[in-house]
Amino acid sequence: MAGDGELRELGQLCNGPKEFAEFDRNYILLPQLRLPDGCTPAAVDALLCLSARDGYPTRLFYAQQIASKNGLNWNAQNVAILQRTWFAYSWNYVASGRPIEVLAQHLRALR
Amino acid sequence: MRGVHIRQSFLGEHTEELFARIRIGVVGLGGGGSHIAQQSAYLGIGRFAFFDPDFIDVPNLNRTVGATRADVIAKTPKVEVAERMVKSANPGAEVWAIQTEWQKDFDSLRACDVVFGCLDGFSQRAQLEESCRRALIPLIDIGMDVHKCDPYSISGQVVVSMPGEPCFRCLGFIRDKDLKEEGRRYGVAGGNPQVVWSNGVLASTAIGVFVQTLAPWCRIRTGSRFIGYDGDAFTLEHDARLKVASQAQCKHFTNIGDLGDPFWKP
Amino acid sequence: MNVHFKTTVALLEGIVADLRRPHPFAAERAGFIGCKVSRCRTGTLILAHTYISLPDDWYVDDQRFGCVFNSQAMRAAMQFALTNDASMFHAHLHDHSGLPWFSRPDIRESARYVPDFWNVKPMLPHGTLVLSADAAAGLCWYPKAKKPIRISTITAVGCPMRFLGSTF
Repeated sequence: MAGDGELRELGQLCNGPKEFAEFDRNYILLPQLRLPDGCTPAAVDALLCLSARDGYPTRLFYAQQIASKNGLNWNAQNVAILQRTWFAYSWNYVASGRPIEVLAQHLRALR
Repeated sequence: MRGVHIRQSFLGEHTEELFARIRIGVVGLGGGGSHIAQQSAYLGIGRFAFFDPDFIDVPNLNRTVGATRADVIAKTPKVEVAERMVKSANPGAEVWAIQTEWQKDFDSLRACDVVFGCLDGFSQRAQLEESCRRALIPLIDIGMDVHKCDPYSISGQVVVSMPGEPCFRCLGFIRDKDLKEEGRRYGVAGGNPQVVWSNGVLASTAIGVFVQTLAPWCRIRTGSRFIGYDGDAFTLEHDARLKVASQAQCKHFTNIGDLGDPFWKP
Repeated sequence: MNVHFKTTVALLEGIVADLRRPHPFAAERAGFIGCKVSRCRTGTLILAHTYISLPDDWYVDDQRFGCVFNSQAMRAAMQFALTNDASMFHAHLHDHSGLPWFSRPDIRESARYVPDFWNVKPMLPHGTLVLSADAAAGLCWYPKAKKPIRISTITAVGCPMRFLGSTF
């Protein structure tokens, strides 16, 4: 699980990160995560999965698909996690680690 | 109309009333789910929630019970075909025909007493099981496969995930390597060969398991089950994995945080 | 507002077995069930997870009532609610067949201590159940409500499934 310091770091990019565990996996909810320039919407609820699932060591899910500069393969649609639905693009091989760094790696796909 | 269910009165004195009050969810109204819908209507189940975003198309006509050529032309949603079929057998049934992915209507899923999973793909099954476990809903999953091997082989399974008892992962039905492989193929599942008779065997078995859970007619009682179907030899057998798994409690759905809606507000 | 209470058969059997144990002086035993909550299309789901059994020395010897528990019991239940973000339901047993209901002292006392759980979890429903040998009934206090509502359905999930709030 993330420490207070790690959550504070994430809090610079969203409105009050919160940790959840679901069925042996660890998630951090990032309400209204501020996205890189050029993305629509500019902010969206996101869910950072720091545990391996579906062949990804970590994954960043969004409450909706994002329009960005790059064409992305949104290969996860309406995924049920924590009783909400989420979307994710194909962006693999981001190892688990310090949450802010994991998040940054995933957001690179939107730059 | 009186006497409709008189031949199944051996199931118990109040079974007719019980069946009329039960709400079942059927997720996926294709080859397997359409059989489930039909048989449960004949049983006298009174309340239904059908989930499927798709319309009837030509390749569905070899196995989707109740679907017609006119439905292909009219682009009838699969849930409406199921509703029509249920109401022809049980005109008083209450049907929620939900023409969307089940993940977009958690509220309707959670209102079900039992859910039948008739989906393609392990990821979808895993998600459905997680949602059913959160709401303490027994999940009865069916599926069949046609394997290319000298020349072909048919197999399938009926797997029951009963809250408090071994889950799909405990039973080895869902494994991380299968989810990983599916993720590698961008989650593509379905479009595989399907035939009506295997779907019928599996659906009928699932309905029998469902009835035994509500109104057991014999002494055999188990919750979580893994029944394997050999479609070449035409046999159904309890999978050995259940014996091993049932000696232990579920290892995966254990925390209180795995129940309910983490974001619930009054 | 419909409230649906669900438990597993295994948990229910554990609760009933505990409540059936004789006590040195209390005529009835009690316990608390930690639950989670969910919305569904037909109302609210209360989902039972953990049963808190009360040790013998958490009861008060008061012959006016069948069961009186002390402040340690409430503290344990409150702590569970706080730690686990849980709805708490008191449980006790009327060991006969058929649909049970609360006695007047049950209702009066429940109305006093159940809302106390809002001191730790004000935004969650809490309540009380009475079990019989083969059925159950319950009352649920929705957040900030002055009066409880009757729980519409009580289901034990397992094989066989048991619909405890019915007359059959």
